[in-house]
Amino acid sequence: MSPHHALPRRTFLARGAGAAAAFAGAAVIGLELRERGKSGLWDPSAFQPPTGARVAVIPRTTYSGDITGTIRDGLVAIDASFDGARVVLKPNFVEYDPGSVVNTDPRVVAGAVEAIRRMGAESVTVAEGPGHRRDTEYVAAASGLLEALRAVDAPFADLNVAPATPYALRSFYSSLDALWIPTLLQDADIVVSMPKMKTHHWAGVTLSLKNCFGCLPGRVYGWPKNALHWVGIDNAIVDVAGAIRPSYAIIDGIVGMQGNGPIDGDPIASGVLVFGDDPVATDTVTTRMMGMDPVKIPYLNEAARFLGEGDPDHIEQRGEDPAAYTTSFAPAPGATFAATDTSGY
Amino acid sequence: MPPLTTRRNGDGGFGPVVGAPSEPGSTAMVALAFEDAAAQQWLQRAQATDGSIVLRAGSVIRDETPLGALALEPGPGRERALDHVVGYQGANGEDPLVNAFGWPWTDDTHGWTEPTAWGLLALRTLRPSATDRIGDAIALFEERECVGGGWNYGTREIFGVDIPPFVQTTAVALLGLGDLAPSLSARGLAWLERGWRGESAGTLTLATAACALDSGGSDQAAAALHALSERSRAAVDTVADCWVQMAATKSGPWSAG
Repeated sequence: MSPHHALPRRTFLARGAGAAAAFAGAAVIGLELRERGKSGLWDPSAFQPPTGARVAVIPRTTYSGDITGTIRDGLVAIDASFDGARVVLKPNFVEYDPGSVVNTDPRVVAGAVEAIRRMGAESVTVAEGPGHRRDTEYVAAASGLLEALRAVDAPFADLNVAPATPYALRSFYSSLDALWIPTLLQDADIVVSMPKMKTHHWAGVTLSLKNCFGCLPGRVYGWPKNALHWVGIDNAIVDVAGAIRPSYAIIDGIVGMQGNGPIDGDPIASGVLVFGDDPVATDTVTTRMMGMDPVKIPYLNEAARFLGEGDPDHIEQRGEDPAAYTTSFAPAPGATFAATDTSGY
Repeated sequence: MPPLTTRRNGDGGFGPVVGAPSEPGSTAMVALAFEDAAAQQWLQRAQATDGSIVLRAGSVIRDETPLGALALEPGPGRERALDHVVGYQGANGEDPLVNAFGWPWTDDTHGWTEPTAWGLLALRTLRPSATDRIGDAIALFEERECVGGGWNYGTREIFGVDIPPFVQTTAVALLGLGDLAPSLSARGLAWLERGWRGESAGTLTLATAACALDSGGSDQAAAALHALSERSRAAVDTVADCWVQMAATKSGPWSAG
């Protein structure tokens, strides 16, 4: 689990679930906290200040060859530990579009399964709840994910139909109050967010924090999960990521997506995998590597206040110098607020 | 689908997968696909006094009343459910591309393809006098129709880029529309006939397509059903398995209207 978590993941989530009953029907509590101002936007007992963040940039220009070795290198670089842990990998398969680069490449997912097993995990499960398609089986099969997982004998869980229980939010940016979170994720020791490096037409970028949307079951939130947009997408990203609390991030930037993301952008060869033990720090560094300014991404700014490290001076850089691997992504239409800025790491 | 008894929870309802607590959506689908009396009774017990049948997740309310109305026995409960369906609609913001309301997945959000299909199906088969809402649903399908016919989740374009249709959502929309908008349905059915094989890797997609092709009188219905029967019958999830049942028995609430 992340060193930034004052409580082990399962303890944290179990306490939240226990509080759900008291929270049920008490939407006014969240509203009151939001109206109280910035200081009431999260429960300080649930989110301890970050004590250090490690991010590693590992060059990789192809999905062929020993990708497992590269992923292991990246995880070792950030001192990741999986000993005896039940691990869930959450890639991004929001939908499937032939010929596009909308998804985390299945070879990266399978490579991560193998690397994490070799690092001592008790179990590794891959899980996703596609946001635009009700038929997860179709998305996983057509995209090649099922075949890739079959090759490494890894289980796949459809989060859109997986058993889920209410979890009372400990941050209060949105009016969501509580979320239904699959028990698979609540019971996991470690969740690894594995997004594609992509632009997003509303949020600016979609990386390891935004990827957490796919953890919520579509049977509750719909296809698309429109409720998360209506409460303000930035608010929802912060609250959902604050509930899921990924311990690590592995970002697939071997080929990213620029322009009209998250589903209709163009491929851009950025030639990197980015690893981090703090999703906020990992997304902050990656945003800069995309030629964008993390300070102008509203949800990153807010997440950096309590959920992780957003100050580049406090992010320990491992692996290669990110500045040397910056590729300017064309911003998504609707998200030009994330205007280009490659200054300073 | 494995025997219902292996899936039914102690309360008579069904969860989305074996072992999950009962929920309105999966229970309603079982009631529809298998005419299961215990599932209907679970829905009756789950119905609120305002007629709604919902799943609550914090402040998010997932409304399953259209499915519930279709699944309930005729009577006061069904009528109250239909009253709620008539009064429940999507919320429109400032998006100039969104004019029709339709039915949303959750309270106070936009209308989308699948929930609108269920809302329309409930009204056209059980409350045809609700002409305003039926007209609104047709307007939504006209507004969201993809270029060349068919529907995805409910977005025709994003920043000037046309978004392609999906098989599963096109099939559900066609079942909702029935004969109400012949040219719209004809384009959708034509796209479905071209597209279903390309998405046949999914059991839910294939079963839904088989139902819509059969309902639309397509000569490809038998081929889709055959492809479905060739698939391994490992359980997928409750809703998908209910669609398989409806495809295999060529039955469903759409045939009632």
